[in-house]
Amino acid sequence: MSERLATELGPKQPPVPPPTASQASAPGRSRHWEGPTYYGRPQVKAAPFNNWVVGGYIFLGGLAGAAALLAAVADRARGPEAAPTVRRGRALSMLAPTLGAGLLIYDLHTPRRFYNMLRVAKPTSPMSIGTWILMSFSGFSILGAAAAAASRWLPRLSFLRRTAKAAQLPAAVTGAGMTTYTAALLSATSTPLWAAAPRSMAVRFGSSSLAAGAAALSMGDTGRVGRTLDKVALLALAADLAATCVSHNTYRRTGVAPALEGDWGKVEKLGVTGLGTLLPMGLYAASLARGRSPALSTLAGIATLAGSAMLRVSTMAAGDESANRPDVSFRFNQPQNLPKRPSRWFRR
Amino acid sequence: MDMPARAAEESASRLDRMIPNESELTAGVRVEPGKSYGFFTDTTLCIGCKACEVACKEWNNLPADNIGLTGQSYDNTGALSANTWRHVNFIEKAGTCGLRENTQSPFQSGWLMMSDVCKHCHNAPCLEACPTGALFRTEFDTVVVQQDICNGCGYCVPACPFGVVDLSELDGKAHKCTLCYDRLKGGLEPACAKSCPTDSIQFGELEDLQGRAEKRVAQLHELGASNAYLYGAPGSPGATGDLGHLNAFFLLTDRPETYNLPAAPTRAANRVAPSLGTGLAAVAGLALAAFALLSGRD
Ligand code: SF4
Repeated sequence: MSERLATELGPKQPPVPPPTASQASAPGRSRHWEGPTYYGRPQVKAAPFNNWVVGGYIFLGGLAGAAALLAAVADRARGPEAAPTVRRGRALSMLAPTLGAGLLIYDLHTPRRFYNMLRVAKPTSPMSIGTWILMSFSGFSILGAAAAAASRWLPRLSFLRRTAKAAQLPAAVTGAGMTTYTAALLSATSTPLWAAAPRSMAVRFGSSSLAAGAAALSMGDTGRVGRTLDKVALLALAADLAATCVSHNTYRRTGVAPALEGDWGKVEKLGVTGLGTLLPMGLYAASLARGRSPALSTLAGIATLAGSAMLRVSTMAAGDESANRPDVSFRFNQPQNLPKRPSRWFRR
Repeated sequence: MDMPARAAEESASRLDRMIPNESELTAGVRVEPGKSYGFFTDTTLCIGCKACEVACKEWNNLPADNIGLTGQSYDNTGALSANTWRHVNFIEKAGTCGLRENTQSPFQSGWLMMSDVCKHCHNAPCLEACPTGALFRTEFDTVVVQQDICNGCGYCVPACPFGVVDLSELDGKAHKCTLCYDRLKGGLEPACAKSCPTDSIQFGELEDLQGRAEKRVAQLHELGASNAYLYGAPGSPGATGDLGHLNAFFLLTDRPETYNLPAAPTRAANRVAPSLGTGLAAVAGLALAAFALLSGRD
């Protein structure tokens, strides 16, 4: 140790000393960061979220929202034939106001003050937008489920059935929000992996939610609606796969790809894309080719649901890794990665 | 800086009362609501004494973070955190890009020190991310966390492009530099700036500071230190990606990354619309496809 020069221990010298101050931040365009870091210390702070808890909420919220959306679509398209699907959709949508909201409050570091989120609405904060999406989705789906349950006891009160029906559309619209706002929540941070690909990550979260929703609704449903929902799941998985390819391309271009070299990157590639997307796609295709095999389709559904959950957990964990690696955040925060046109959404 | 005229009236220390508008005496500026205040941290003047760190801890009654040695030069503080709102970086390097190069080992002449702090961004990502309104903009154009509102969701932590704001394990709330909001209200200069013995940390009205900083850069260029530049002043590195300017800005002599600063940080909220828009369009498309599939006869 004593024999080594302080330069070897300290931050690395920049490859080319900047000739002038204005060019003081123009390193090469290579994939990896070649400039100095401050003793390898993180440049940004990783999110203090519990990845299993918040990842679990993102999965459940997306599943609940997608189930409500697809149940409403099935009801419009198939009418009474889709009644079992609509019932399941109502049950699944209850995941959001119960377990989902519970997980969110549990992850707060001062949980007894959770209600402070209900005193503010801010378009710049996806967490605030999400609070209101979750609140309204919960309200509409509880209303729908309560009215539907009550109408089974009191079938003569037709307004109950009409209320359940009327709650379907707003639940579907806010349900669509539930499937994607969580991606916006992660992207609107300075965590390099989440910030690098806001568009394709939102498509991934949305289509993965819809695949999970279709899978959960179709599982064990031997009727025609169930068979068609398998096709919907297959289509959503294909969209997910396409968005995954786009994401990874963006990760390489913006230089955050090294954050996926770790264990969670492997989970993302092998677990989520391999076992959670490609495998169920193959199983659904095989099942449909045989005129729908219930066993294959159930297996595909389980893989889809597990993949959708792991997508959220691994995205969060790999994001933390990208935040903890200064080489990744320095490489990402280079001028060539700045948006071409500055947004005009929120002027101050 | 010349001695302010009023300082002559206050020749002796008097502990029995507060000096009205004391900041006029110590920083040459009167603190008034409605104006923009900030810090100009000139790293070429920093001697690494950590008086700012100590003054901040003392005034704000903040506990110690790391009792021990990091092995990273004289920096045993490590990073800004919930309990550390000023942090002095130490970077030992040979020469300052050709200036005053020497071959001593360990060398002293190219030792870079920089007192880091919350930048009090113009479009502050932490404030924009806060879902409770606990983070707010004060009448002095600074960014402060209201401790009685914060519910510890932690969303401001990854939102900050500079890794400043942090959750405290002790009370489950987010904490960061307040630019001494309480002192400003009482007409006092912030504790760190007041304690800085070399005026490396200068407190003042933002426009005033920016003008002073431009002059300092020009002066350094004249002296041959052509690598001096501003970080966080309008149009300079650090003030990129729609962040606007930074109310706490810096004069640096090496690449931003050397000081653990990002070269081109961005405003996180600008990613909300593209993300939500694209995601919802994809979901709507898939829902339409589902409708077509479900209503077709097979
Ligand atoms: S530097 Fe970070 S904590 Fe300070 S105002 Fe900007 S975003 Fe907020």
